[in-house]
Amino acid sequence: MSFRRRLGLSLLAILALFALNVGTHFWGSYAREQSMSAYRGTVDARNLTNSIANQLEEQRTQLLVLATLRETTDDVLSEEDRAQAETGIASIQGFIWELGRADHAVTRSRFSALQTSSRRLLAAWLAFFQNYNDPAWQSPFIAPDAPYHYQAVLRLLRSLEGRQSFVAEERAAIIDRTIALTDRIAVIGFFASIVLTCILGLFLIGYTNNALRRLKLGTLHIGSGNLDYRIKLEGGGELGDLANAFNEMSGKLQGAVEEVRRAKENADEANQAKSDFLANISHELRTPLTAIIGYSEMLHDVLGDDSEIKREQFRSDLGQIILSGKQLKSLIDDILDLSKIETGKMTLNPESFDPILSLRQVCETVRPLLEGNGNRIEFAAAPGLPDFYNDATKFRQVFLNLLSNAGKFTRNGVIRVSAAELAAPGRVEFAIADTGIGMSEAEMERVFEAFVQADQSTSKNFGGTGLGLSICRGYCEMMGGSIEVESEPGKGSVFRVALPARLSSPAPGTPAAEAAAEGPAGMEGKAEAARAAAPRTPAPPVAGSGDPKSGPAAA
Amino acid sequence: MGHEEPGNESWDMRAGQLKVLLVEDNAASRDMLSRRLRRAGYEVCTAADGAQALRQARALRPGIVLMDMSLPIKDGWTACRELRQAPDTAEARIIALTAHAMAEDLARAMAAGCDDYATKPVDFPELLRKIEHWAGAARQAPAREGAQ
Repeated sequence: MSFRRRLGLSLLAILALFALNVGTHFWGSYAREQSMSAYRGTVDARNLTNSIANQLEEQRTQLLVLATLRETTDDVLSEEDRAQAETGIASIQGFIWELGRADHAVTRSRFSALQTSSRRLLAAWLAFFQNYNDPAWQSPFIAPDAPYHYQAVLRLLRSLEGRQSFVAEERAAIIDRTIALTDRIAVIGFFASIVLTCILGLFLIGYTNNALRRLKLGTLHIGSGNLDYRIKLEGGGELGDLANAFNEMSGKLQGAVEEVRRAKENADEANQAKSDFLANISHELRTPLTAIIGYSEMLHDVLGDDSEIKREQFRSDLGQIILSGKQLKSLIDDILDLSKIETGKMTLNPESFDPILSLRQVCETVRPLLEGNGNRIEFAAAPGLPDFYNDATKFRQVFLNLLSNAGKFTRNGVIRVSAAELAAPGRVEFAIADTGIGMSEAEMERVFEAFVQADQSTSKNFGGTGLGLSICRGYCEMMGGSIEVESEPGKGSVFRVALPARLSSPAPGTPAAEAAAEGPAGMEGKAEAARAAAPRTPAPPVAGSGDPKSGPAAA
Repeated sequence: MGHEEPGNESWDMRAGQLKVLLVEDNAASRDMLSRRLRRAGYEVCTAADGAQALRQARALRPGIVLMDMSLPIKDGWTACRELRQAPDTAEARIIALTAHAMAEDLARAMAAGCDDYATKPVDFPELLRKIEHWAGAARQAPAREGAQ
């Protein structure tokens, strides 16, 4: 339940209690008033009844006196006396009528009886006064039953009075009970609303304090970097929503922090890779430099001595210097090529060529190297392969590299070169399979990475800059193709190069095309794409100088 | 320095040439350095990998080992540790030769038990000074022990 609803409902409850109190107060007041009026009515009725009884008594006494006088004397009743008696009777009638006004349903029958009896009695009394002077008139009042009329009226009067009193007392009692009840309700309601208000206040203070405390704790936790922290607030509501918003914010922060951390990790990795690459370059450059400087210094010393100069030895040492110099140059060339590929500065120069012819020429170039290790070359090309329109130089460099590698890692084995069209039209797969030392899974995964050495001893045993395969992959990707390797330790390796016969120009509008538009040969985009997947880190189990001109030929 | 057994005088440089074991996998560097060391008057033996280096050290008891760190079969760090652990080769002075010029590489070499290091391309006069320094230390050590 929301906080606002809780508050609203609590206020409604308090208002309802308040209304109940006010209501019971008015009810109590009304009951009191009713009670007073009933009491007054009772008192009035009693007074009236007494007054009626008195007047009846008085009138009767006068009547009895007059009746006796009429019997005994011949006096006549003066007009004046008669009028006075008539007024007295009318007054009694008026009082009775008055009594009827304070009448109630429960006394209706008694009052009716009283009215009937009194009307007859008063009618008889009136007749007496009117006919007093008529000697022939026999007063019915004198009849033996006359007093009875009077007694009956009096009895009825008393009875009515008693009844009226009883009813009034009953009503007053009921009203008193009602008053007591309303008083009790008012007191209970009053205390209940006080208690309820206190409870509500305490609850509100407690709830708000608790929620705010948790929110504060949460913000402190989150603020101090504990982004896993979640604020727990039961029952929802506005504070619950706020807590959820905090939790969501914390979650988003966590995501953002995680993202930044990952980005930093990636950057660190890339940085580490660059450092490793530089360290490796430094290492690779120092090795031939050691030989160059060492031999040069030695020859310099030899020439400075007066010792005998052995011409053959001298020439061989100079040969070492030249070889090391060439190795250094090819290494620098490879590094520059790789750098160009990675920065997208390497350009493609497409031309038409026959891939099989090119491949055969490359095989002929490396044949001396391969056969020098006791290897045999087998060449198998499927007929009807399409002519290529692609970068012929890079094509040759890729295979020169792969074949030199195969030759380096194979002794007295077979190197099979094959070419076949792939299912995808216009794509040709070239495979260079050797029966050499092969590679483990781990080595295969990293074989295309620059300088990365799964086993350092490999390159130590077989030489090479460790950049050849990186460059191969860069070239293959630039040419719109791919290169992959299958290998098993001790069984040999198969390098498969899939290349499109026709270099497809990048679709206009793509980032690659835009990048390409700036490049002289329009192929920077490809290089850019190649760079994305390209080696970041150093090594060479399968070595090979990337530069075919100076690599194996120089050996 | 541990207590030398009497008669174990393989370290004694006072008599004859100082024996240097050059461990280097690059043939050109090995050839060049060994020849230059011989020209400088040392008796030089060579090894092309870590395992061979250990065998040579045990057999020939060189006073100084010049150790390339990135070696095939058994790398220079492992070879250093094993040289240090074996009692008959523990006294050899090891100078690391490394093309890894980074500080952590040097620290790693020292941690593996090398006494000193030289960075490739080698500054030859400097290397000779280091060899002489450590050979001198090796010569003095038995004398010190004798005095005690």
